Amino acid sequence: MGGGVVGLSCAFELQKRGHQVTVLEIGRCGGQASGAAAGMLAPYSENVEGPDDFFHLCKESLRLYPAWRNEVRRISGRAFEYTESGSLYIAYHEADRLALEGRRLWQNEHASSGIVLEGDALFRQEPMLSRDVKAALYTPEESHVYAPDYVLALEHACRLIGVQIFEQLGKVTVAEWRNDIVVASQDGQSFTGDRLVVCNGAWAQELEEAFDIRIPVYPIRGQICAYEAEVKPVQHMVFCNQGYLVAKENGTLVCGASEDVAGFDTSVTERGIERLRKWNKQAFPFLAEQEPFHRWAGLRPSTQDGFPLLGPLKQSAGRVVMAAGHYRNGILLSPVTAQVVADYIDGGGSPLSAFAPERFTH
Amino acid sequence: MKKDVWHIGGHELTSRFFIGTGLFPSPYVQKEAIRESGAEVLTFAIRRINLASTEDDSILQHVEGESFQYLPNTSGASTAEEAVRIARLARASGLSDWIKVEISANERTLLPDPLETLKATEILVKEGFTVLPYTSDDPILCKRLEEAGAAAVMPGAAPIGTGLGILNPYNISLIVEEAKVPIIVDAGLGSVSDVAQAMELGVSGVLMNTPVAKAKDPVGMARAMRLAIEAGRLSYLSGRISKKRYASASSGHEQFIVK
Ligand SMILES: Cc1cc2nc3c(=O)[nH]c(=O)nc-3n(C[C@H](O)[C@H](O)[C@H](O)COP(=O)(O)OP(=O)(O)OC[C@H]3O[C@@H](n4cnc5c(N)ncnc54)[C@H](O)[C@@H]3O)c2cc1C
Repeated sequence: MGGGVVGLSCAFELQKRGHQVTVLEIGRCGGQASGAAAGMLAPYSENVEGPDDFFHLCKESLRLYPAWRNEVRRISGRAFEYTESGSLYIAYHEADRLALEGRRLWQNEHASSGIVLEGDALFRQEPMLSRDVKAALYTPEESHVYAPDYVLALEHACRLIGVQIFEQLGKVTVAEWRNDIVVASQDGQSFTGDRLVVCNGAWAQELEEAFDIRIPVYPIRGQICAYEAEVKPVQHMVFCNQGYLVAKENGTLVCGASEDVAGFDTSVTERGIERLRKWNKQAFPFLAEQEPFHRWAGLRPSTQDGFPLLGPLKQSAGRVVMAAGHYRNGILLSPVTAQVVADYIDGGGSPLSAFAPERFTH
Repeated sequence: MKKDVWHIGGHELTSRFFIGTGLFPSPYVQKEAIRESGAEVLTFAIRRINLASTEDDSILQHVEGESFQYLPNTSGASTAEEAVRIARLARASGLSDWIKVEISANERTLLPDPLETLKATEILVKEGFTVLPYTSDDPILCKRLEEAGAAAVMPGAAPIGTGLGILNPYNISLIVEEAKVPIIVDAGLGSVSDVAQAMELGVSGVLMNTPVAKAKDPVGMARAMRLAIEAGRLSYLSGRISKKRYASASSGHEQFIVK
């Protein structure tokens, strides 16, 4: 259930391992969060507090990415952008130095070769950066993909290896899961299978009643915009505590993203984009003169404790496997999610209990 | 019954829960947890805020339009000079003239530097700030901060984010005994029992972030903490029994017998 990056990645991996996979999508594959993402693969910049289970999952996924990218490219025949740009996490206050230094210390113990840059060393790396920036944590290991093309390539690869994809189903509900899997769509079709992998992102909570468990997944809207940039003006992914900027191969500079509590509303607001523009010119003064040419929004699937719901439903005897709630990092987490789900289905051990989907149910 | 209110810098407070805005898994959970906590005072690191337009800040925008008292902090500062500079920036941005002085020189323990904290408190009080220093749990130091003009003094229970609970309850109770300004336990609390213990020791309030934000259910934990604060406060006001070595019958009337 669900044809976002998570559903397609699981389908791709399972089909490759010899299963017959069907993807059911109420709208269009990649039509929601996955197609809206900035595509950053940034376990270090996205986890600033410490090495918890979520960080390890993110880090493992980054490690899997190069091989995964090659597979998707090879099978789909499509070369989506994958840029090893490294990242800069910038700071404006002297007082941030302690935090950057603290982060560098623990991240260096976890496969990051990050260093804190300041002054000339920093501006040589990122010439257009505002001179108000005092220091930055440079993490060479982080990279990014062009998410819409990556998701398209995945979808294409899935079709080429025999995954059946049903789109525009309107509404899809779970009719039976305790003894058998039966999923019904609005137009009266019903789909059966041995297993059900639930990958419906921000909509996961809709299944609370069907499975009789708590699924505290909430949509958080991300508004994001892009500028035209003929000559690549920004060399790295540049993060600050208000958002990020990342330049793409196609000559655009993407600036994201808000975190709005707005239910399932995916509209773009004047205020939301204004907010991005207010801080991004503080990072790159040349942006003060520019207007974004494209604005869009997507719904990130956030969860009550910040960790995804990843693993089997015990009460279904493993017939139902959940993979939802990847919040800000679903693009990054797609390879590891596919691997965890496929390993479980192939009898290769259980995912971490920290991600157990039933953990919120007493 | 008279309402159990208290005051900081002329500001009347009902809630005894100061809550930090950091570390929450999402803005939705943050919003709900803050609401459930009943907190009137919100604290956050100034260095994380977009001071150029605070109403657009990625954290503050979610509490816009509500009547919170902001308590910005100087976390990240390692000297008095730096803390003072950050405090001035915060006030100039119109955020608040309350300031939590937080100065640590060690990135592993983040323990407060007592000398620099005292120095910064003296300067900021003279500049008219309402100063709430975060400090170690030393009774004499806490007194000195009060004498320097702190509006409330905030000794730590244990290092920030450790959840170890009150490492030295004896000190906290001495600090409370000596104080003429509110004492707020800040940092190191982990569970409702820690919080109830702090309140039973007679502190005026507690400041927390990690134990709520990093709980499996932050909204549920915010509520649990609020109730613990209420229970601990009520217990303090009601006076706990003294401890005895041996059992004594709870139903006996012996004490009324005239001998
Ligand atoms: C602005 C923005 C920027 C982002 N940037 C990044 C980034 O840089 N790096 C990163 O790693 N992540 C990023 N993310 C997060 C990432 O996009 C998400 O974590 C990821 O897309 C989640 O994938 P998904 O497949 O679970 O969700 P989705 O892509 O939303 O897919 C879920 C699908 O399920 C379908 N569906 C819903 N209900 C049903 C049902 N009952 N039956 C069948 N189908 C159903 C939906 O139509 C949808 O297509 C960003 C997100 C946003 C919004």
